[in-house]
Amino acid sequence: MIIDGEFHPMTDALATRVRQLAPVRPGDGLPAFLGAAISRHETPFSERRRAIVGELSARFLKDPWLRRDPASVAVGYWMRPAAIAQLQAAFERRLAAEPATVRVPVGRVFHVAPANVDTLFVYSWVLSYLCGNANVVRVSQQPNEAVQAMLGAIDAVAKEHADLADSNRFVTYEHDDEVTAAFSEWCTHRILWGGNETIAALRPLPLNPHASERVFGSKFSYAVVNLDRYRAAKPEERAKLAAAFFNDLFWFDQMACSSPHVVFWVGGEPGWQEATAEFEDRLQAEVERKRYLPSSANAVHRLVHAFGVAADSDVAVGLAHPGFIGIRIAESEVVDKRICGGGLIRHARIHHLDALAEFASDQDQTVTHYGFERDALNRLAAGIGARGVDRIVPIGEALSFQVNWDGFDLIDDLTRRVTVQASPAERARD
Amino acid sequence: MRSPAQDLLETPPYGLAQAEKDAMLSRALTALTRHHHEHCETYRHIVDRVFGGLDRSRSGKLTDMPFLPVSLFKTHELKSVPDSEVIKVLTSSGTSGQSVSRVYLDAETARVQSTVLVKIVQHFLGKDRLPMVILDHAGVVRERKSHSARGAGILGMAQFGRRPFYALREDMSLDEQGLLDYLAAAQGGKILLFGFTFMVWSCFVQALESHGLKLDLSDAVLVHTGGWKRMKDLAVGPKEFRERLQALTGIRSVINFYGMAEQVGGVYFENDLHFLHAPIYSDVVIRDPVTLAPLPDGEVGLIQVLSSLPVSYPGHSILTEDLGVIRGADAAELNMKGRYFEMMGRVPESELRGCSDTFQPVKAAS
Repeated sequence: MIIDGEFHPMTDALATRVRQLAPVRPGDGLPAFLGAAISRHETPFSERRRAIVGELSARFLKDPWLRRDPASVAVGYWMRPAAIAQLQAAFERRLAAEPATVRVPVGRVFHVAPANVDTLFVYSWVLSYLCGNANVVRVSQQPNEAVQAMLGAIDAVAKEHADLADSNRFVTYEHDDEVTAAFSEWCTHRILWGGNETIAALRPLPLNPHASERVFGSKFSYAVVNLDRYRAAKPEERAKLAAAFFNDLFWFDQMACSSPHVVFWVGGEPGWQEATAEFEDRLQAEVERKRYLPSSANAVHRLVHAFGVAADSDVAVGLAHPGFIGIRIAESEVVDKRICGGGLIRHARIHHLDALAEFASDQDQTVTHYGFERDALNRLAAGIGARGVDRIVPIGEALSFQVNWDGFDLIDDLTRRVTVQASPAERARD
Repeated sequence: MRSPAQDLLETPPYGLAQAEKDAMLSRALTALTRHHHEHCETYRHIVDRVFGGLDRSRSGKLTDMPFLPVSLFKTHELKSVPDSEVIKVLTSSGTSGQSVSRVYLDAETARVQSTVLVKIVQHFLGKDRLPMVILDHAGVVRERKSHSARGAGILGMAQFGRRPFYALREDMSLDEQGLLDYLAAAQGGKILLFGFTFMVWSCFVQALESHGLKLDLSDAVLVHTGGWKRMKDLAVGPKEFRERLQALTGIRSVINFYGMAEQVGGVYFENDLHFLHAPIYSDVVIRDPVTLAPLPDGEVGLIQVLSSLPVSYPGHSILTEDLGVIRGADAAELNMKGRYFEMMGRVPESELRGCSDTFQPVKAAS
């Protein structure tokens, strides 16, 4: 099979080490798919592909398992036709702003999805598919129920729409550099959704010389709360904030890149202990309302972590709430970026948002906020953004997927600009 | 500090009814909690920062005693005596294999530990030292470097037997001829067998079965210990374990015990109901893994082990990662008083995975 003038390296023998999860078509070999995929790309945001994504969205939202899983519902909702129409409108505004270029798909995209945020592969894939690309998506070796249900839906839709089956493969395989190298040589864009270890292991594998790459390393995220505004807020507003924070905290077991691990309470000393206690009581009420119960394994994991923190630093550990562990960090103590997960929050007080400039670093991703005006947030972005932080969003929005991720525009990554200059004669006529 | 367990050495190891035990352990654990709070800085930090200081433990209720998670002995140095008084450091593979727990013993703690162990074992085996077959290979105790929990366990038990015979070769195969010769020399008298549960199963029971070999061990006692995790993987429970052994050897006395390097004195031998029985020096509390609330008898939760022994390190109250359930206390049909429980396996390992452990220090408010 010839690609870019070279043989592509996925042999039949190598393909036996890859398990194709969806779309499943008997007798349809991976080498043949990869070869044929060269000609499978399509105009970005084509009507056909929008319709297929819409159909998938409907299936996700109807699936008996997925509809009970809030993170999966969020995926289905994010890809519903009305939301895709907005993405398309934004894309068309870009086109209008660049009259001298034609946007084409980047071509063939190889996605390596993370294990900790299982449904992320859908966001990555949907954007790439809508941009007109052919795709190979490597998911974790033990797909959980949500992933299995999603792959089942993709498989079902692919039975009715040849384009979906012809241009996409969802696969898994053991860590195998030869297989990864083969996909890497095939693709024209590679996306590694972290974490750091995966990136360190996969990044050295060479890409096709014409390919580009985007990697998303492990990230650290935190929240900022305006202490005075919180204390002045009405009970209903505080309850709403707790509900919003619940989602940020517990989706993906607090292991997503954008899950908050520290809450910085910004303001003067009086009342911050009371405010954090009140905040935790409301969060626990939300835990009970949602009937969320951590697994024994996670409960033990975070307990051990909390005792370790107490042994090493000046803190007060709260074990009173079954839903989570709350740790108050003493004023003089340093705040580190250790990640526990499974429902462990550390509270720290700072005088002013400016103090975060010292805390921010390359690995920071999302800062969720409550009680700050746009001006203050803009100053924060300008101050700490240069050191890492990519998103500053309201509490409750931590896990919302955005096309602009870790500071990079995924639509830009997934398309290519072809510059078109008309002949001098034609330009003269215009 | 004198170990509170010193006061118990004249009492038979299963000779106190639960109510008397509660009163005695309450005094011992309150004193130990105060002692370690004063002498171990890390322990003091945890009691102050997690349990709000000593106030709550002053109630004297066993369920109000602060505890340490067992993994903390792997990550932190926990010691209540100066280095000069440490005479022995026990290590264990602990819970997840990689890092080891370190347990610091001074002369007092080591002495009481061995006295208590003798009292417990003699309750089951009598005072005579029996000819002893060790269902392991001699290399485990020879290699000082790999002085693992396994080697230490064997050495600990070996003091209760004489003429130890290691029945396995270095490659873990069963030395059948050597074993037959040893048994012949014992001439049908009472002997002691000791091994780790999984090895007893895989290197002894299964070896006998595959070679079609039957032995007469009708007058022997097998003492075994070690987790049931690998047995669970093979879907072999305690009852089947005993029955298959009995079918092959006629052995009637098979006694499991539960314990851990992290807690000296916390040794729980099986009673005749095949439940693990707490001796007078120690006890268990079962806690809900999520809320940490103490659970009533019959409900499964995390096992917290309490011991009146350790003065050199704060191991008197430990929350394990094992699941168990209390089955009763002071049963009339037993000649042993006190509480007994059943081990139900280990809490599954957390699958939380993802990001890095990057350490990025920064000052909080100033």
